[in-house]
Amino acid sequence: MIELRNVTRIYAAAPGRGRVDTVALDDVTLAIPPGGVWGVVGPNGAGKTTLFALVLGFIHPTKGRVRIDGLEPRRYLRRHGAAYLPERFRLPPEWTVGDALLALAGLEGLKGTAAKERVGAAMERFGLEPHAKKPVGALSRGLNQRLGLAQALLADRRLVVLDEPTEGLDPLWRIRFRDVVADLRGAERTILVASHDLAEVERIADRVVLLEGGRVKEVMDVAPPATGPISYRLTLAAPSPAVAEAFPGAEAFPGAVAVADTGTPVGGRTTMADRGASAGAGPVTYLVHVADAKELSTRLAALLDAGAVVAEVAPVGEPLEERVRRALDPEAAR
Amino acid sequence: MNALVLARLTLRARRKRILALLAFAGLFLAAAATARLLVSDTDGHVNADQLFLIGGYPAVSALLLMGWLLGRFPIIATLVLMAGLLSHDRAEGYARLYAVRPASPLRVYGTRFAALAGVAFAISAVLMPTFDLIMLGTWAGPATLVLILSYVLVFGGLVALFSVWTRADAWIALLLAVAALVWDGLRSAGVLAQVPAGARDVVTFLLPPQALLYSIEEAFGNIQPIPWDAFLYVAGYGLTALALAAVALYRREV
Repeated sequence: MIELRNVTRIYAAAPGRGRVDTVALDDVTLAIPPGGVWGVVGPNGAGKTTLFALVLGFIHPTKGRVRIDGLEPRRYLRRHGAAYLPERFRLPPEWTVGDALLALAGLEGLKGTAAKERVGAAMERFGLEPHAKKPVGALSRGLNQRLGLAQALLADRRLVVLDEPTEGLDPLWRIRFRDVVADLRGAERTILVASHDLAEVERIADRVVLLEGGRVKEVMDVAPPATGPISYRLTLAAPSPAVAEAFPGAEAFPGAVAVADTGTPVGGRTTMADRGASAGAGPVTYLVHVADAKELSTRLAALLDAGAVVAEVAPVGEPLEERVRRALDPEAAR
Repeated sequence: MNALVLARLTLRARRKRILALLAFAGLFLAAAATARLLVSDTDGHVNADQLFLIGGYPAVSALLLMGWLLGRFPIIATLVLMAGLLSHDRAEGYARLYAVRPASPLRVYGTRFAALAGVAFAISAVLMPTFDLIMLGTWAGPATLVLILSYVLVFGGLVALFSVWTRADAWIALLLAVAALVWDGLRSAGVLAQVPAGARDVVTFLLPPQALLYSIEEAFGNIQPIPWDAFLYVAGYGLTALALAAVALYRREV
């Protein structure tokens, strides 16, 4: 459990230049339970990096207190360590990739063969093997970011803090990064990810902390709730009459092309009861409504039993980007 | 922690500085060898009178200056190698990568200090006796090594201490070295008699122990027994600075 209680952090201005102190975080209270992925988003200067620096004990709060599992952050880190990728990851440019990882593995407490094996696995995981002998200074931006991720995840830590992890990664490695996060998920592991890429955060995070001007503006759920009514976008490989039975009130998905009895594409919101089946046509998307995830599973099972081929099921909600925009600028959102 | 890997990487990151120091040391040896070839006497010593006849005052002054600088070489090597010992890591963000790992920062920076101090000591320990051998045909014995160790401990400790706080660590240590030289000169000349005794003692206590360093240097120069009591004080000064650096390191934000 990460706890911030009434935390304020003020950066003092350099003396004699007429500048004012900067309030980076202002009376922030936040409790992050173990497990899950938390996104930290907000405009530039919102306090994301300062929040991470406080959680990791790099800096001390001006007021308030920070605790991780009841311990002062530095004490926690000495005992358990943390996986950390800074916003602008750098290592001494003269170090080679392999040696850098080996040295950092040593700081993780890994020795000899264990350290070498862990470094080998990290290099393989992030595609760094061909670059093992290269100086860090010779790496491209994307490779450097992969090295940053590799060094962060050298050891198995319960606290993972990643600041702009997909910055500089190409599309393929962005997708692989999602797999890495999925692999990291665990009941005891808390993953904090700061990013300006809201679509990326939406893909990987369960909850999002929205910061603005050093304050917590809102804490949002990203993943669909385990309980409560929710709508899903259901795509079948071909229209099936079983949809009407399995999901009463199912509609053609707004904007998607529905298929009429005759196999002719039609637009608009058409209930399934109106349309019936049209075997032999192409993929079709429906909007279905269920009370909770359990009901969804039951109804999907019935649909599959009836021979329908499900291509995709995705929760339908307001995109995170819209929610963040609305929270930060209610006037513009209207 | 794999101390050897960390030490190796530390030296790799300081490679240019090490090469620059080696080149600087090479200049001393080249100058000494030239003087020896040009004006050596029957005992194999460089003869200053002959040097004067060849090059006049400038040549003799240059040789004396080189001799004086050679005595300061361990300070130069220590300042050059240790500059940014901790402050550079903090400025570049490397310190945070170390701080999140469950390794004591004392071990990280202790390893680094030991590696750099070792190199400063080694280069000086090769240069100074070699220079003596070329110029005088003999060397000053173990006192040379004690003198080098004293300088490395005092100025290495000071740089480490200031490096916790500022990037100007080596410059401040250099300033203190100059201040200590001047202060000791004034003290020896009796100019400080008007300064209140308490203030004089405090300044003498805080500045690098130049008088004691001189006593070790004299033993080295005159091939006398090593003044161990002076060495113990000097070593204590350096180790105290290191201990203060360690305490500050734990408290300092990164």
